[in-house]
Amino acid sequence: MKNEIIRVFSFYFYQARKTSRTKTFFWLSTAAILMALVIRAYKIAGNWTESGQVIFQNFLMTFFLQFLIVLMALFFGTAIVGEELDNRTMPYLTSRPLARPAIILGKFLAYFCLSGLMLLLSVLISYLILNLDSEFSLSSLGTVLSYYLVLLLGLAAYLSFFNFLGVWLKKPVLVGLAFGFGWESIIQYFPGTTQKLSIVHYLKSLLPRYTTSSGKLGFLFIRLEPTKPWLAILVLFVVVAVFLLLSCVLFSYKEYLYED
Amino acid sequence: MTAVIEARNLSRWYGNVLGISEVTLDIEPGITALLGPNGAGKSTFMKIVTGQLKPNIGQVRIFGQKVWNNREIFWRLGFCPEVDSFYEGLNGLEFLTGLLGLYGFSAPEIQSRAWRALELVELKEVARRPIKSYSRGMRQRIKIAQALAHDPEVLVLDEPLSGLDPLSKRRIIKLIKELRNAGKTIVVSSHVLPEVEAMTSEIVLIHQGKILARGDLHFIRELLDQHPHMIRIKSPHYRELARQLATEDYILNITFEPENSAVTFETHQRDRFFDRLNQLVLESDCRIEEITSPDDNLQAVFDYLVGK
Repeated sequence: MKNEIIRVFSFYFYQARKTSRTKTFFWLSTAAILMALVIRAYKIAGNWTESGQVIFQNFLMTFFLQFLIVLMALFFGTAIVGEELDNRTMPYLTSRPLARPAIILGKFLAYFCLSGLMLLLSVLISYLILNLDSEFSLSSLGTVLSYYLVLLLGLAAYLSFFNFLGVWLKKPVLVGLAFGFGWESIIQYFPGTTQKLSIVHYLKSLLPRYTTSSGKLGFLFIRLEPTKPWLAILVLFVVVAVFLLLSCVLFSYKEYLYED
Repeated sequence: MTAVIEARNLSRWYGNVLGISEVTLDIEPGITALLGPNGAGKSTFMKIVTGQLKPNIGQVRIFGQKVWNNREIFWRLGFCPEVDSFYEGLNGLEFLTGLLGLYGFSAPEIQSRAWRALELVELKEVARRPIKSYSRGMRQRIKIAQALAHDPEVLVLDEPLSGLDPLSKRRIIKLIKELRNAGKTIVVSSHVLPEVEAMTSEIVLIHQGKILARGDLHFIRELLDQHPHMIRIKSPHYRELARQLATEDYILNITFEPENSAVTFETHQRDRFFDRLNQLVLESDCRIEEITSPDDNLQAVFDYLVGK
């Protein structure tokens, strides 16, 4: 099945670059660069006194972690099956000699890589814009890399969850929006173990220096009762694996009807 | 001849709506046309045959194997869906190479197969143009190209002539006949009777999810012994022929066309009619210029079977 996954990956990684969804998210991810430029301009003008690291961390928490990766994962994840139904291209796929799980896994990997690349560009450039000054050293790139890896893990977890919604439900986007921007936002303010029922909790548990954040949006961390990093990583990997498995099993047995 | 596609008691519902009901059908190499009005169950049957849907009851086998999730069968099967839909942003060549890539062919083979398919459907010149700029006929042909690019033994073409101009129709009919001559098993569906007639005489009439009749067009016609056959004879002696035959008990109706020197007989015993006609021609030296059967076409058979 490995070869079949690679075949599906190759086709969709190529094809998805040309879709309006990818173009939209490319421009949306470059919005982070524009915002970073604006903030840097404010900083140069002396209107922003916090260090570039702190600004970037706030930026990471609000724009990337709680907005961009959720939105990207929602639209790419639900599209894995949803776009085939909306565009009525499913028969082109399901009449090929491919195991159905290979279709899910190949498309998942293609969309993960594509959105991951867009994210990398956006994170790296906006980090450099905010931190490229006399205090900048190459070791700082290690910090941004660790941030990026956390974002990637979050992207994979959300993507697999939203993919499952797309395989399961006819209209997954609304449910996905409610989960991504409703449940995930609210639940993290709950004390105790309740907040562990969200993906974002484990992502925040992994972010460096989350407890020392003193940014303007530092209140976001107030109630965080972090999970140990190794456990957070494990939970996120389990989330990815479980929802991918469920998607593959469901897709293997489910028929998809569209009105002719 | 061994059946390539074997459907046994296939039934499929969409909630309370019947798709097909107890369809049992063997399809052999050559062109078989599924004929029926919209909503008759043709597409449902094709989707089950190509593994897009599962039947609620019954089973379908291709080359003796089940179809659903059977990768081995998908190597030998090409499916051209009815819907006019494509991947966003691709040109014709990318569409074909992308789908051929899913078979695991090598890069040079993907290219050669794609170009060969484009040649077959006469789209080489526009291969690098975006599909969204194609005419309806071109889009239909590129859909057929994706179904045959991997050289399958079985082709299932859902409404391949739908919405095409006459020239495109002729091209596709020619292509389908060439594929038949190459030994393929081809199943086509249509609700336009003359189109089917131009492709094949092997038809399956479907209506309201059930098979009404199946077989060679003329064979089916013979089955309808209660349905009057119309036989039109053009002859300078058409009045004499009519007078001689009018006394026969199997003649139901006679219509004259003086302007064409022709007469049309309606009979439900075609064999007896032709025996008597031969006899008359020999005995009375009547010269006959043309004998045709105006209703010996799919429309007449179909109308009769569905009770119009």
